[in-house]
Amino acid sequence: MLGLGIESTAHTFSCAIIEKKGKKGKILSDVRKIYRPEAGEGIHPREASRHHIENSSSVLSECLKEANVSVQDLDLISYAAGPGLGPCLRVGAVVARSLSSFYKIPIYPVNHAIGHIELGKLLTGSSDPLVLLVSGGHTMLLSFLDKQWRVFGETLDITLGQLLDQFGRSIGFASPCGKNIEELASTSTNYVSLPYSVKGNDVSFSGLLSATKPISEKSKVDACYSLQETAFAMISETVERALSFTSKKELMIVGGVAANKRLSEMLKDVCKRHGCKFFVVPLQYAGDCGSQICWTGLLESQVKEGVSLKDTFVTQSWRLDSVVVDY
Amino acid sequence: MLVKLIKKGAEADIYTGMWNNSKSIFKIRKIKNYRNSLLDSKIRKQRTIKESQILSQVKSFGIPSPLVYFVNLEKSMIVMQEIPGKSVHDLSESKIVEVSKEIGKLVGLLHKNGVMHGDLTTSNFILFKNNIYMIDFGLSQNTIKPEDHAVDLRLIKEILNSAHAKIMESSWKNFLVGYKSIVGITYQTKIVKLVLDIESRGRYAQVV
Repeated sequence: MLGLGIESTAHTFSCAIIEKKGKKGKILSDVRKIYRPEAGEGIHPREASRHHIENSSSVLSECLKEANVSVQDLDLISYAAGPGLGPCLRVGAVVARSLSSFYKIPIYPVNHAIGHIELGKLLTGSSDPLVLLVSGGHTMLLSFLDKQWRVFGETLDITLGQLLDQFGRSIGFASPCGKNIEELASTSTNYVSLPYSVKGNDVSFSGLLSATKPISEKSKVDACYSLQETAFAMISETVERALSFTSKKELMIVGGVAANKRLSEMLKDVCKRHGCKFFVVPLQYAGDCGSQICWTGLLESQVKEGVSLKDTFVTQSWRLDSVVVDY
Repeated sequence: MLVKLIKKGAEADIYTGMWNNSKSIFKIRKIKNYRNSLLDSKIRKQRTIKESQILSQVKSFGIPSPLVYFVNLEKSMIVMQEIPGKSVHDLSESKIVEVSKEIGKLVGLLHKNGVMHGDLTTSNFILFKNNIYMIDFGLSQNTIKPEDHAVDLRLIKEILNSAHAKIMESSWKNFLVGYKSIVGITYQTKIVKLVLDIESRGRYAQVV
């Protein structure tokens, strides 16, 4: 089966084609164009959607060309229906609807966050993991039970990705800032005490963000180092709590912040302590991409027909624990 | 003297051993190498102090909890009474529903006396001789803020929902019955509303 997946929830517009045979999936192409706001600024939804509109046709044709596939060969099209920024989501949905109605191809709306998890499972081979989803939109610990992903812990305010981005922007970086912060942090070992807020299995980052900003006035590197150490220690602790409570034998990290090496290093140590296997989504597929949407669409097609055009919704708010997963 | 490791918990290793001729629990918060050492020692020390203080404090208003025998701050170790029962987490589903009411009462008692537990999961209650014991006060705080009390309730609700999904409705209902019987209907209503507030702050919880 051949699927096309379209991702456009935030800064990335991406199309990908995956060939599914049985339980296996092979990514034939995954083409992305990323909207970059100016240094110190965040995503402007209107500008991002404009970027997506301008780049959609070239990304699509490049993706088809690279996979050596024509639109008529596709068995299904899936698009990210949420959660995300409304104007951006609409671009992906419009492209998907146009192709679907013109070429009569079944269409599937897909939850973006579920996509991160499913693609992670495909690429890492993990089977029953505790999932840490860390990105600009999510910071959640999840385990699968009875047809649904259950939230074991999550952020009570901003996400880990937002924490890094908002702090990064305040010291003049361009979003996404994770990589710049990681680089600066690696040059310091001077820890400045910062608020550490773990509430049971949940975390809260907003106080940490406010407290880190003034420290950067004295030393940017110390601020970056201390911010990462504190935030990642909080995440590691909640992961330990979840592992110890659920007795899961696998941990998988997915989402954009999964690319951070320091976070991986800390979580590897956590896994060692709990005798559990550690999986991290390959760097190239950590961030938002069409593959995550495509693969989830292909999985859904095992148990569902595509939806009719009038039901091809987009929604800014769509919690992944409300999605029934029965494939 | 330590005999054997019985559990690697989230933040501490739990051993059983003998202390003054009685079988005891040794809870040791070991150094975590992945954490910055300053942050690590701060967390381990603070929590050891807090836990031993609150373990003693809660007994004064009638919450069954282990007796503290000895505290060693250098090693971040607490030696305490062993409660040789079964963790509520491992009980049968029908039994969990049944004891939820008693758990609700204990939490009510805790809150009424200005303490939040901070880590209300089903593994932090032990059923022993028909009594429910509360353990693991590492994240506890003295607080009368309703918002803090709501954080406790939200956590146990989250745990019921994620780990005991099939019995979530009935045990949550029983929990609230027990909780209300201690704190009264007015306070209970207020806290439950705050729990909904906290939940609605969850990412993508409300349609914008």
